[in-house]
Amino acid sequence: MKQLFLSFALKLRKSKRYKESKAYIWELLNGTSNPYKKYLDIFIIFLIVTSVFILVYEVTNPVPIWLDYYDFYFVSFVFFIEYILRLWVHNDLSKYIVEEYRDAQFLHREFKLWPVLKYGLKEKLNYMATPSAIVDLLAIFPAYRPLRVLRIFVLFRVLKLLRYAKSINQFVEVIKNKRFELLTLLFLLFFIVGTAGIAIYVLEERINPEITSIFDAFYWALVTITTVGYGDIAPVTDAGRAISMLTIISGIAMISFATSVIVSAFSERLSEIKENRIIEQVNKSRSFLIVCGYGQMAKMFFRQKKGPMENYVILDKDLKRVEQARKDGYKVVHEDASRFETLSKFNVEHANITILCMAESDVENIYITLNAKSISRKMKVIARVNDISIVSKFEYAGADHLLMPNQVVNTMIRTAITQPTMYKAIHAILTGKSVARIDEMHVHEEHSLVGKSVGELDFKVNKLLFIGLERDGEFLFSPPTAEVIQSYDILLLMGRKISLEYFRNKHEEAL
Amino acid sequence: MSERSILLFGYGSHGKFIAKGLQEEGFLLKIIESNHDYYLQAKDDGFMDVEHMDVTNDRLLEVLNPQNYEQLVCVMEDEHLNVFLTLSLRSLFKESYILSISDSIHTTKKLKMAGANKVIDLYEVSANKIHNILKRPVATKLLENFVSGHDGISFKEMLIPKNSFLEGMTTDEVDFSPHGVLLIGMIDEALGHAFVFITAGITHELNYGDTIVCIGPEDALNRFSEEIKKKESQI
Repeated sequence: MKQLFLSFALKLRKSKRYKESKAYIWELLNGTSNPYKKYLDIFIIFLIVTSVFILVYEVTNPVPIWLDYYDFYFVSFVFFIEYILRLWVHNDLSKYIVEEYRDAQFLHREFKLWPVLKYGLKEKLNYMATPSAIVDLLAIFPAYRPLRVLRIFVLFRVLKLLRYAKSINQFVEVIKNKRFELLTLLFLLFFIVGTAGIAIYVLEERINPEITSIFDAFYWALVTITTVGYGDIAPVTDAGRAISMLTIISGIAMISFATSVIVSAFSERLSEIKENRIIEQVNKSRSFLIVCGYGQMAKMFFRQKKGPMENYVILDKDLKRVEQARKDGYKVVHEDASRFETLSKFNVEHANITILCMAESDVENIYITLNAKSISRKMKVIARVNDISIVSKFEYAGADHLLMPNQVVNTMIRTAITQPTMYKAIHAILTGKSVARIDEMHVHEEHSLVGKSVGELDFKVNKLLFIGLERDGEFLFSPPTAEVIQSYDILLLMGRKISLEYFRNKHEEAL
Repeated sequence: MSERSILLFGYGSHGKFIAKGLQEEGFLLKIIESNHDYYLQAKDDGFMDVEHMDVTNDRLLEVLNPQNYEQLVCVMEDEHLNVFLTLSLRSLFKESYILSISDSIHTTKKLKMAGANKVIDLYEVSANKIHNILKRPVATKLLENFVSGHDGISFKEMLIPKNSFLEGMTTDEVDFSPHGVLLIGMIDEALGHAFVFITAGITHELNYGDTIVCIGPEDALNRFSEEIKKKESQI
């Protein structure tokens, strides 16, 4: 028996396919990155909704028998499979067995199967005891119609939907944080209901025809204390009414207390919940921008952006500035971008992320640059440098682009004084506002430009000025007309926006 | 005083750099600084014409005779002082050309109201650059190198002299590529003082007195600026 288990476990451990499929299913059920997860979720939600609908409809209308079969067999079967798979991927029994076996061999002690197996099964049982697993299990049972009480099982199917409702999870999370206050409140509630119930039972059991048992008394107490007051049971003696009044007053106090606890819990966590939403949302896009620091420069950056901007998030550790950004209507998260946890929340693996370090202090910008680069080299960093003498440090830290406000401005002023005409031209080009902009065109393999010589291209007809091309990091200024364009060249062109776009489209289409 | 003289207010982080650049270009420079440390720094750096004075005093400003200078450049470290200075200069000397630096959005507005002819906004320029980097990284990097002259390629503006071979030619027919330079645009004096890009699609005639802006390797640009003085092109 032991040998059989062991050899089976060893075989599973060795099988790559087994491990891969298990990981795949885990990802499909619990993960976030599997592309098919979305469809699975929609399918399950569809099953739940239809099955609940059938049952509700059936209360007053007859339904065809095949719908009953669908609900009874098909839905239940799918849920059963899902439950089993969830249980299966929760942990790895074969891994425990093999590890224990290896340890036993290593220490030359006797290999005992039972303790590991017990440990593994206990973990599975722990999983089965979690609320979501219980709901899953109960949702398997179809609502058996002839027995009215069993119809309650349909509720579990509805509850199963909770797995797909994020806001509910957040609600539970918030409530969990206030466990202590709410438990105190619950205890108080039990105490008052108990006292009032016993009092009314003792005082009116013989007199009031409505109160026949202690259960009636407790029911009355709870209905009264929550200010619901159905009125099906009412006190008839003066003593009973006095008890009622006291109960009502304490009820009002307790309800307002409970409300305030929950409200304050929410308001404490509201910004955090919102921020998590922002991060989740931005993580879905394939490329986005992380702006670190909402200072003057960031403000200017957003102001200059024409049209709405989608894929960005602002990080700032200063609460005042976060508030400011929020007021200005931007997506902002109150986090410190120099912390590892902050940046690793983002979808570093699958998205093209550009980080703008725009903090006022160079030290912080360097730190953020290093932080980003340590998480993934793929992240692009544009860093602001205030002190020109530490440029090399930024380069060493791996920043892709450096922004030196002081230097840029100094050059501008100098040009404005020494060569005013040129200043106008350069300013126009740099800001890209006017008729002339200098733009780049990346030539890719299948471009119709590849293989053509510079002389053959119709720059002049399209009112474009060909300034030069960059090849392997070298810039060739105004290459001779015989020069042949190669794949991956970057052409530097100047012209009006429409000329540039026209030229670009023309050669894209000619594929 | 000569045409190319500048009165520079402030020798802080910006003033220092600008002063150095202007000196290299051969400008006549007078530096005014109210901060004693910066004043000494300017002296140390070898500038002869440096004055230490209180720029809030109108009488002292008048003594400077700013109308004799081509441009007044206000780059004081203290932005409040900079706005105040711009305002004083404007109220005292209506005709002068004043260029000021601003390091916040609010200051830019104030400087314009105070009467500066040109305001260069540190943040506006930088934010613009970020957009450019995001949209066209290679072009931005190259352009930056052109402007600062890193790659040996730069811009140059030239005045078309009398009797140049360029006279009478139109922007459509000229081709400067044999000279190793490219024509970017020009100021056509006949059409007012506006800058026209070559790519705007309008044909202009080059005349004596027009300014052209070219791009190219530095030595080619220098050669070309000599070349256009001749009656006939050698090439």
